[in-house]
Amino acid sequence: MSTVDLKFTSSLQDAGSFKLMELPPDLCKLIEQSIESNTPTQWTVKGQSTDDAVLCTSTKTYALRSVVLSNSVLVVTRSEDADLMDSSDTVVIRDTLHEVLEPVVSVPKLQVLNGLLRGRVYDEGHEDVDEDVEMEEDDRRGSQSQTDGRPTRKRKFTYDDARETLQASQVELDRGLRERRVLIIDGTLLLCSPATIHSAVYSGELRPIAPSYLTTILELLLNYLVSLSLPHSAAPVSELTTSLEDDHEIKAKVSKQVMAWFGDVDDGLWVMDVKGVVREIGLGILRAYKDDPIPETDFMSKWKTAVGDTFEQSTSLDLLHGNFISIPPSESFSPTPLLSYFPSSSLPTDPFARFADLFLTRSRWKADDISPFLMDICVDNKERDKLLLKYARAITDKDGVWYTARAK
Amino acid sequence: MIIPININASSSSTGPLPPQLAQFGTDELVLIEMQGTLEVEGSKAGQAVGKLTVDEKTKKPTLRIGHHLLEGKLVNLPKPLAVLHRPPRPLSNDDDETDIGGERDWSGAQKTQVEWDVVAVVRKKMVFSKRPMPMVASIPVAPGGSVVKKAG
Repeated sequence: MSTVDLKFTSSLQDAGSFKLMELPPDLCKLIEQSIESNTPTQWTVKGQSTDDAVLCTSTKTYALRSVVLSNSVLVVTRSEDADLMDSSDTVVIRDTLHEVLEPVVSVPKLQVLNGLLRGRVYDEGHEDVDEDVEMEEDDRRGSQSQTDGRPTRKRKFTYDDARETLQASQVELDRGLRERRVLIIDGTLLLCSPATIHSAVYSGELRPIAPSYLTTILELLLNYLVSLSLPHSAAPVSELTTSLEDDHEIKAKVSKQVMAWFGDVDDGLWVMDVKGVVREIGLGILRAYKDDPIPETDFMSKWKTAVGDTFEQSTSLDLLHGNFISIPPSESFSPTPLLSYFPSSSLPTDPFARFADLFLTRSRWKADDISPFLMDICVDNKERDKLLLKYARAITDKDGVWYTARAK
Repeated sequence: MIIPININASSSSTGPLPPQLAQFGTDELVLIEMQGTLEVEGSKAGQAVGKLTVDEKTKKPTLRIGHHLLEGKLVNLPKPLAVLHRPPRPLSNDDDETDIGGERDWSGAQKTQVEWDVVAVVRKKMVFSKRPMPMVASIPVAPGGSVVKKAG
């Protein structure tokens, strides 16, 4: 038998200074690795006072749920008090807890970026944010709403601001900025490898690039690759940026970032991501056909012309999944399917609202057709199927499975 | 707002627990779960709660609080728990008190300097799930010489 005295701590600072957090296997592994390799690691809890808090590791975002316990959990350690240190038979209750935090993997909450970056579009001739001029950014989201309540002078919104404001891990934020084609202007370390990006603190201003401007730059890049006979798998960055700057007044800091988005820059050489460039140019063409669909064959030939002979082979509608809807010939009285621009990025992020929008656009969907429009609101296919099960109804007929709206 | 959570930071250790206790948690920290709460009249600070005994053979923990005895057991947690601790602010910070409120982030919210450390990862806990039993037999003889007898 061994007996110890149990006491409350005499330190007044201890109450409320402990919390319990359940560890899913992946988080537990991270902690173990950190302890084994003896490297301090830092996670962060992020959120404005009105948000639900999230926990971010360097690569993932977890929603934090609070689970209330009806029992009390006492945190017991050796006493901090020096007087009691020598008495080996006393342990103290440091805190009494009634709650466990439960992290649940979630998608990064990057959608707020769209709002934060509104009116900061970087476009040809609009290199500085201009307070009076209406920017094109809202084209995608259906205009209006942008007229009133604009502050007359805007503070710059920097990378550091985004890191503090947005509920996303560093990797997810960087990816989100890339995917949204946001330039980091006048920051340091613009072209660095992912490994160094994390340790680098930079305060560059965030400016989303105008889609049309981006298409222009990419088309010019393709032209220069051909006219200067540079290989697309190893094109000297400086040669391309100089040409763009001299002939078209496109600043090197912009074209360099564009190249980094669409490929890898290694040792001054650009390894072009052919699919990425071809896809973006395709999007650029498609964007014009929002309300006024274009026959698929016409679209494909326009696309092939735009990318040129060298990359013609790489065009494929598969690249544009989640950005268009195709109207079959039977419904459109046209010999080939019609395509219209329908980007999933402009749909609501709340699952209920998104499904409502999707079923307004079309009353029934094939599984393959609807899934590209769900990719950005779920973490994996399992969650996607859960969403489909919850918000849609599956009907099977001779053509296969269709999803329709759930009856109210 | 960003609240850092430090893992494997040099934490303020309070020293190892007796081995009998450490087997219910980690070397330095044990979680004890019980029904209800411990109520204390007046200030809790420094108050004695009771005696915690671990039987060396059966490994059964018992907790005696006053005339009540609680029987506990070892429970393995389905998922490990991280114990987070917010270290008290270092004394040197007191001078900078005026700085607080000066720093604001982009949205205008105040920057806080709160940090949490992961001080332990526990995979088991000591649970007292039963009601306390009155300890009649072992009550020592009162000064007057009379012994309270068990009814019935």
